[in-house]
Formats: sequence, C-alpha cells, structure tokens
Amino acid sequence: MIFRATVLSAAILMGVAGTPAHAKDTVKIAFIGPLSGGNSATGVGGRNSAETAVRVRNEKGDSKYNYELVALDDECKPNVGVQVATRAATDRHIIAGITHFCSAVAIATVDVYHRFGFPVVVWGAILPDITYAQDYKEVHRVNGSMLDETEVATNSLIEMGYKKWVVIHDTTDYGNMLNKMFQEKAPKKGGEIVGSFGVGANQQDFSAELLKIKDINPDVVLFAGLTPLGVRVRSQMEHFGVDVQFAAVSGIMSTSYFDALGQTAEGTLSFHNAAPLTAMPGGKAFLENYGKANYSNPPEPYGPYAYVAADLIMSAIEQVGPDRKKVQAILNDTKDYPSIAGPINFDDHRNNSVASTRYVAQDGDWVRWEDSEYASGKRQLKGR
Amino acid sequence: MGSLVEFVFYGAVLGIMYALIAVGFTLFFGVLDVINFAHGDVLTVGAFSGLVAYLGLGVLGVDLPLVLQLVTVVLAACVMTAAAGVLIGKVFVVPMRDAPAFNILLMTLMIGTVFREAIRLFYPQGANPKAFPALISKAAVDVGGVFIRLDSIALLVLGLAVVFLTSWLINHTKFGLAIRAVAQDADTAQVMGIPFKRTVFATFALGSILAGIAGIMHGIYYSEINFNSGLFLGLIGFSAAVVGGLGSIWGAIIGGFTFAALQTVWVVLFPDASSYRDVFSFAVIIVIMALFPTGIIAERYSEKV
Amino acid sequence: MSVLRFWPSLAILALAAIWTLCLLLAEDQWMIWSALAVAAVAIPAAMRTGAGAGLGAALNESGRFFALLISALIVMIALVIHDGHYPLMMLASVLIYGLVCIGLTIQFGYAGVINFAGAAFFGIGGYTAAVLGTSGVPSLLIVLLGGVIAALIGGFIILPILRTRGHYSALITIAFGLLFQIFLEVNETLGGPQGLKVEGAAIAGWSLLDGISLAGYDASFYLNYVLLIAAIFTAVFILTRNLERSWIGINLDAVREDAIGASVFGINVTAWRIFAFMLGNFVIGIAGALFAMMQNFIAPSNFSFSDSLLMLSIIVIGGIGNLWALLPAAIIVILIPEKLQEIGEYRILIFSVLVALMLRFRPTGLFPRPVRQFKREVEQ
Repeated sequence: MIFRATVLSAAILMGVAGTPAHAKDTVKIAFIGPLSGGNSATGVGGRNSAETAVRVRNEKGDSKYNYELVALDDECKPNVGVQVATRAATDRHIIAGITHFCSAVAIATVDVYHRFGFPVVVWGAILPDITYAQDYKEVHRVNGSMLDETEVATNSLIEMGYKKWVVIHDTTDYGNMLNKMFQEKAPKKGGEIVGSFGVGANQQDFSAELLKIKDINPDVVLFAGLTPLGVRVRSQMEHFGVDVQFAAVSGIMSTSYFDALGQTAEGTLSFHNAAPLTAMPGGKAFLENYGKANYSNPPEPYGPYAYVAADLIMSAIEQVGPDRKKVQAILNDTKDYPSIAGPINFDDHRNNSVASTRYVAQDGDWVRWEDSEYASGKRQLKGR
Repeated sequence: MGSLVEFVFYGAVLGIMYALIAVGFTLFFGVLDVINFAHGDVLTVGAFSGLVAYLGLGVLGVDLPLVLQLVTVVLAACVMTAAAGVLIGKVFVVPMRDAPAFNILLMTLMIGTVFREAIRLFYPQGANPKAFPALISKAAVDVGGVFIRLDSIALLVLGLAVVFLTSWLINHTKFGLAIRAVAQDADTAQVMGIPFKRTVFATFALGSILAGIAGIMHGIYYSEINFNSGLFLGLIGFSAAVVGGLGSIWGAIIGGFTFAALQTVWVVLFPDASSYRDVFSFAVIIVIMALFPTGIIAERYSEKV
Repeated sequence: MSVLRFWPSLAILALAAIWTLCLLLAEDQWMIWSALAVAAVAIPAAMRTGAGAGLGAALNESGRFFALLISALIVMIALVIHDGHYPLMMLASVLIYGLVCIGLTIQFGYAGVINFAGAAFFGIGGYTAAVLGTSGVPSLLIVLLGGVIAALIGGFIILPILRTRGHYSALITIAFGLLFQIFLEVNETLGGPQGLKVEGAAIAGWSLLDGISLAGYDASFYLNYVLLIAAIFTAVFILTRNLERSWIGINLDAVREDAIGASVFGINVTAWRIFAFMLGNFVIGIAGALFAMMQNFIAPSNFSFSDSLLMLSIIVIGGIGNLWALLPAAIIVILIPEKLQEIGEYRILIFSVLVALMLRFRPTGLFPRPVRQFKREVEQ
C-alpha cells in the first residue's frame, strides 16, 4: 500500500516536473530573401545560416521559447518583396523578420514594415536609404552599408593604380546609388570616371555597351550590380575582346559567380563589409554548426550576417517575450552585442557600420586580398 | 568605324537565331494554320537538353574532341525538341486545329509555360542562369582592327547552313513536297495519298528541331542559358514570322534579320539609350502590322463567307 | 422569377459565401484541402441536380437583384473578417482581378477582340494613380482617370488591331504589352525597375489607410479598400450586365460571331470593336488604379506578359463571356494558390496545366455562357 502510494506519487511528481520542459511556446520569426532566381545562392545561404542560428539556440535548451523560422522568397523583385513582406507583417504569429539581400526590394518594403509595426533586421542589403532615408524605428541593419563598401573600393582601386574607370551599374536604386557614390568619391582620390552605363537588371545583350567601352579603353571596368548581371557582363567582356581588369561590388560575391564563369572569374576584384569567416570571432564555430545540417549550399559571404540578425532577434525575444513593440525597443538600443561577426552597435538610425575588406577571386574562391597570391606578387592582375 | 562592322556582324548572328525560330513558327502555320506558342519554350528545352548531354558526357568520363561534343549536344537538343514538338502537335494542336485562333494561342502559351516551369522546378536550381559550355573555340580573329570571334563566325555559318538545308528540304524533296501540299490544301493532299497526320507531325518535329538548334546557338553565343529566355525569344520569333508573312519561309528569314537589324540600328544610332532597343523594335513591328496587316510577304488567303 | 428557383439559388449563394469565408480565414493546410474537397464534390452535385441549373437560369434572367445580393454577401464576409489584414487583402485582390476580367470579357467575350496586353492597361491605371497620387486630385477622380488614360493609350494601337484579324491582332497586343513593360523598366522618370510608391486612396479627407475603430470593433484598413472596390465592382458589373442584355450586347455578339454577316446587316463592325476595346481598357485601367492605391507600391514586374496570361486564364476557366463565372474563377486562380502554400512553388505549373487541359477538353469553361434569352427581351 505504502509502496504503491510512493510509486504513484513519484510518477505524478515526475510527470509534473517533466511537463514544463515540453510546454515551451513556439515563437515564429521570418526570413525573407531571394530563394529563387539568379541570386538564390546568396538567399539560400542566408536562409540556411538563419536556420542554423535557430537550431543552435533551440538545441542549447536553456531558452524560454522554441523558435521556428518561416522562410519567404522575395525573388529579388520589389513587387514580390512587398507581397511577402505584407504576408509576414500581417501574420500576428510572426514576431520579427530577418530581411532582404536585394536592396531594390529592401527599400520598397520598409513602408510595409513600418505600417504594420513589424521589427526587422536587414542581413544583406547595403543601400543607405534603407535605414537613413526615413526614421522608421522598425528597420535595423547589421551588415553595414555601401558607404563603407564604396569608400574601400575607391581607395583600393586608386592605390592599385587604376585611375580611369568605366562604371556599369543596374538601374535599380542599388545600382544608381552605387554609381552616384563612385562618381562622388573617385575624383576626390585622383580617379576619373570616363564612362558610366546604366543597364536593366534583366538585360541579356551588352554588345552596345561593351563595344563602346572598348573604344574608351579604361583601366578598369567597375560593375555595380548583382551576380546574374555581373556574370553576363564579365563573360561578354571576353566575348567582345574587352581585355580590361574587372572589379565589382559585393553583389557579385557568391559561388554562382564561379559556377557560371569558371576560369573567366579568375582575378576579379571585389569588396565586402565583412572579414573572411576565418577571421571572424565566431566564424569557426558558425562553420561547424552550419556544417552539421549537411546543406548542399555554402553560407555565402552574407550568411554570417543572417545568423547574426536571427541571433539578435531571438535574444531580444528572450528578454521581453513575443511582443513586437517590446522586441523593437530592445533592438533599437543594441550596443556592443557580442555576435559571431564582432560587436554590433546600432547608430541613431539603427545601422551597424562595418569596415570593408578587399577580396580577389582566386581558384574558384573569394580570398582576402592580403592573403592572396596577387598581393604577394605571385599572380598578376590585368593592366599592372 | 571598326565597331560598326562588329555591330553588323553581331547583328547578323542574332538575326540568324531569330530567323531559325521564325521559320519554325511559319512551318507550323503553313501546315496547320495554327500558331504554336510553345515554340519559344521548346527552344529552352533544347538548350537544357544540350546542357544535360554535355554534363552527361562529363559524368560518364567520355572525353571527346570538341567537335564531337558539339555534335552530341546538338543531337540531344534535336531529339528532345522533336519529341516535344510532336507531343504538342499530337496531343494538343492537331485535335484542336479547327478551334478559334485564340484558344490555340492561349493553349500553346500555357503548354510553353508548363515546359518553362518544369525546367525551373525540376532541374537542379533551375531558376538560376546556367553556364553553357564553350563548344566552339573562343579564339579571336583580328581583321584590320575589327575583333571577331571564331565562335560567332562558326555560329553564323552554321545557322545559314541550317536555313539553306531547310529550304532545300522544303523545296526539293518529296517530304517537302508533302508539307507544301498539306499547307496549300489539306483535303486535296489527303485525296492524293499524302498521310496528313504523319506529315503534320513531321513538320512539327522539323520546326522544333530548328528551335533546338537555335537554343544551342544562343547558349554558345551568350555562354549562358536561362529557364525563361525562351519566352522572349519566342515572341521575337513570332513577330519576325508575322512581319515576314506567316507561311512563307523566306519571309520568316527576312523577318528574323529585320528584327535583329532594328535592334542593331537603334543601338548604333543611340548608344546611350541602348536599353530602349526592344521598345523601339516592338513599336516598329506594330507600325509594320498596321501598314501590312498580313506581313510584308502577304499571306494569300481566301475566306469562305 | 419563380419561387421554386429563388430559394434554392439563394441557398447556394449563401453556402458559397460561407465557403469563401472559411477559405479566406483558414490557416491550416488541411482545412484548405478539405474546403477544396468539399467544393470539388458540391459543384458537380449542384450542377447535376436542378439546383445548379436553377441558379444558372435565375442569374441569367436577373438584372440587378442577384448582383446586389452577391455584393451584400461579399460585404458581409468582409465585415465578419474585419481585422484580418491578409484575408481582406486577398478578398480585395480577387475583386480587383474580377474587375479586370469584366473588362476583358467586354473586349473578348462580347466583341471578340483579343487582348493579350491586359496587364499593360492594368499598369497604365496603376502608374496614373502613382503619378497623380500626390498632386491633390481626389482619389475617386484618379481612379476614373486611370481608366480614361488606359482607354486613350489603347486608342493608339486600335488602328493596327482593326486592320488585322486572328493571330495578327494578337501579336499587336502582345507586342504592346511587352513594349510597355520594357519601357517602364528602362525609363527613369516612372521609377524604373525600382517602381514607385503610391499614395493610398482618400475619400473626403479621410484616408483609406486608417483602420476603422468603432466601439471596440477594430477593422483593418483593408476593409475600407474592400468596401470601395466592392462598390465599384458592383456598379461596373451591373452596368456591363445591362450592356450585355441590351441592343448593344446583341450588336457586339453579332460582330464577334460573324463580322461579315453583321456588316451585311448594316452593323458598323469597326465602331463596335473600337467601343468594346476602349470600354474594356477603361475598366481594366480603373482596376489598376485601385490595385496601386491599395498596395501603395507598383513596379514594372507587376505587369508582365505572364500577368496578362493570368488574367486571360481567369476568363477561360470561368467561361468566356459569362460574367457570373468571373468571381468563382478568380477565386480559383488567385485565392487558392495563395492559400495552398505547400504547393505555392508549383502553382504556375499547376494552373498552366489546368488551363491547357481546359482549352483542350472544355473550351467553354467551367460555367459556359448561357444562351441569350431572346424570348424575355421581346415580350414585356
């Protein structure tokens, strides 16, 4: 009798003690990026990285909530972006968003996030206007902006001796703003932009622009756009015999650049608001965790920032619970947040500035300039 | 001045590609009075088939000289596009040949969309543009300051050869005679013992093979293929065929070169506004249609009232 | 109309309204699949029994009554949902595309003028709203102007369309649609590929972007748009229905069916085609302006050739020339793919297969256009 009572009460106690562990509420956060189309490598890398952040936190087991990532595809098109942004923002169960690689989409969706009071952290879009044009307290960014990128790009190119530039840019706000910044910065450092061509993001044939560039004969062709367009420009440069050094902004830094171009990609210069993973404080751990899920895609250069954004959001939710306004207030005040990419500090427009790093395409990989064989002199860039 | 020659040359390469697609449209129309709008997407199917064949050779470890690789790729494209063309003809178009023009147009547009989406969804990372192998040597020739690549010359020659071959086929063989007979008067042709359905399916196969070759050419020229390049090319091919006069093979070829010429002329005259080239070209097409409602080489038809 | 037909028809419409409400509010995928299963069973059942035929006949005969009834049901659905942003936005989208298809029906269903550039005229309305949004012009006037400008621009390509028939006129509209989208993408003044922000609608100083809050009843601002669009949709629907049943409709039918025969009878084929084309574009333009104002954003990629095909698919699936079939078809083409997120990726593939099969095997659509009731029109 007493034995049975003991067993019974022990069972009940275990049951009661056991239940809270299974009673964690699920909190949803959204990831929005280009999961299909020409930029899908970056988008999928970002999604996988965000998923890794969620998985790591859930597996640790000491958080108050169970997190779930809802991934949405913006197809790198502004109108699709507005649609999925509306879907995420109007869903009461989704507390915050890790949003956008394509600047053209990010600038179109800020109004949606503001209207529905949906806090977001940008992980890949670098157009300054996203955080600086309006004072929308919902919008934050961890990956720096093109202010940093264009500064380093200009200095590097001039330093390397490329003084006569031709800029090819896409005609979205992203490309237009990059072009504008280069036009401002180059002359200040002694460079000269001898030609500037705006091309449609879907443009297929560049014979007109490239044949003209051949006549102009610049030192370097600087490309301000995204990977699919950049791939076409670079391969047609070969096709039409434009034998000039090719440099591009971070929109081109993805593995699809190498997949599409093969050997032609060798020697391309690029600039990115992040040190290589090996140099990041949490880089090695991130790669290990990422690898555990056996994804078929690498994280790509912007993946770590998606991880950071997810992490930031989840930390905020841990502190104040799944309440959009409270989470937003926490995010607004982010100072010295220890992330895998270093300390995150938001300025008065909720933007985190990052110093840019120079990269060069070497043997199918993006290698930091200082570490590359080009810097040591073993290999040569064009025109030097 | 040198760049003008380059422009003309590259315009010609585009023209021959458009011409191949346009000839396909014109063949379908001639033989059945239908517009098969899946044609552009059949081109994409051909391009991807060629890519798969090339990758397959690599996977199997077969090492062929470049020319044989090219032949394999082209053959793969031709086989798949012929199959696709016959499928479309047999299941959808021939049974519906008496339906109103709109129905067939929309139906074939939808079939084309099915091909396009199938490639996007089922080919690994189909939505991403894919690198196309350089199956013709990319060496360049410098002719007095004019830079011309061997592969462009080869493509132009190949395209012209295919066009002449098709024309010879239509005009000097028994098969071509059957096609022309069915195009002129299907009932009488059948009375004369020409197998209607077989001829029609063979025509569909022929037209689709031309699209497949155009797809491979496009891939080699741009070193890239994309799941939705077929739609736009199909529309250009259709416009070219209509401008030249549906039903006339030479009209289709003229139409193809006309469209390419329109694009090139605009780009040469207004290099700073080069992105408007397609706006200009389509606007001219509309004007041409207003002036010549049935194309430059007018379609001869009579309507029973 | 006979009492025997009235109550069953009312019942069917009420059930359809409840079904739509459930579909809009459903969040779990299994609920949506079961709703579809219910519909797949119920519709053929209704068509087999007399009830479906009764409804068809009742709709065919009626003038304003059933149109107003359906509008009332739509408003009730919206009021029940009241603060769900996304379902209301979906409802508004269905109504907008329904409105576009009324325009296409006038052009193609009645007069037989093929228009593959529906999305372009939709876009013209949208860009008008974008450009005029900040200029102080009243919103309702902007909506009208969107339609007017779409009709005027359509007037530019009407000449080539009139001179051609069949595939040739189709080519002209296709070329125009492409031209329009490419132009918008490369032209900087209209925002280029980045698109434009659009001011929301405002009626008599009250912005539709503000939600309604009445004594604890909170409504999403999308409710305002649903009400506005439903009102416009109903008005256009009734007007078009009257058009169809009048001598104008008979003339259009004659022009479509047999242009040469019609001209022999003294009907001015050219004039009717122009009329139908421009009126259709006017309606499409209005829909475009409303769409832009609701979304607060438009970009050239909203108005591609594929979007024109989507619009045409709605009228084909519904039944060419049948106004009553537009809303059900719009629900099938627009709402269901949005809801079935599992198959969301495959939706274009699925609906292309659907339309191709439909055209192959049942070109008259799900609800074919009923034969015109001459008897009723002759006798008073």
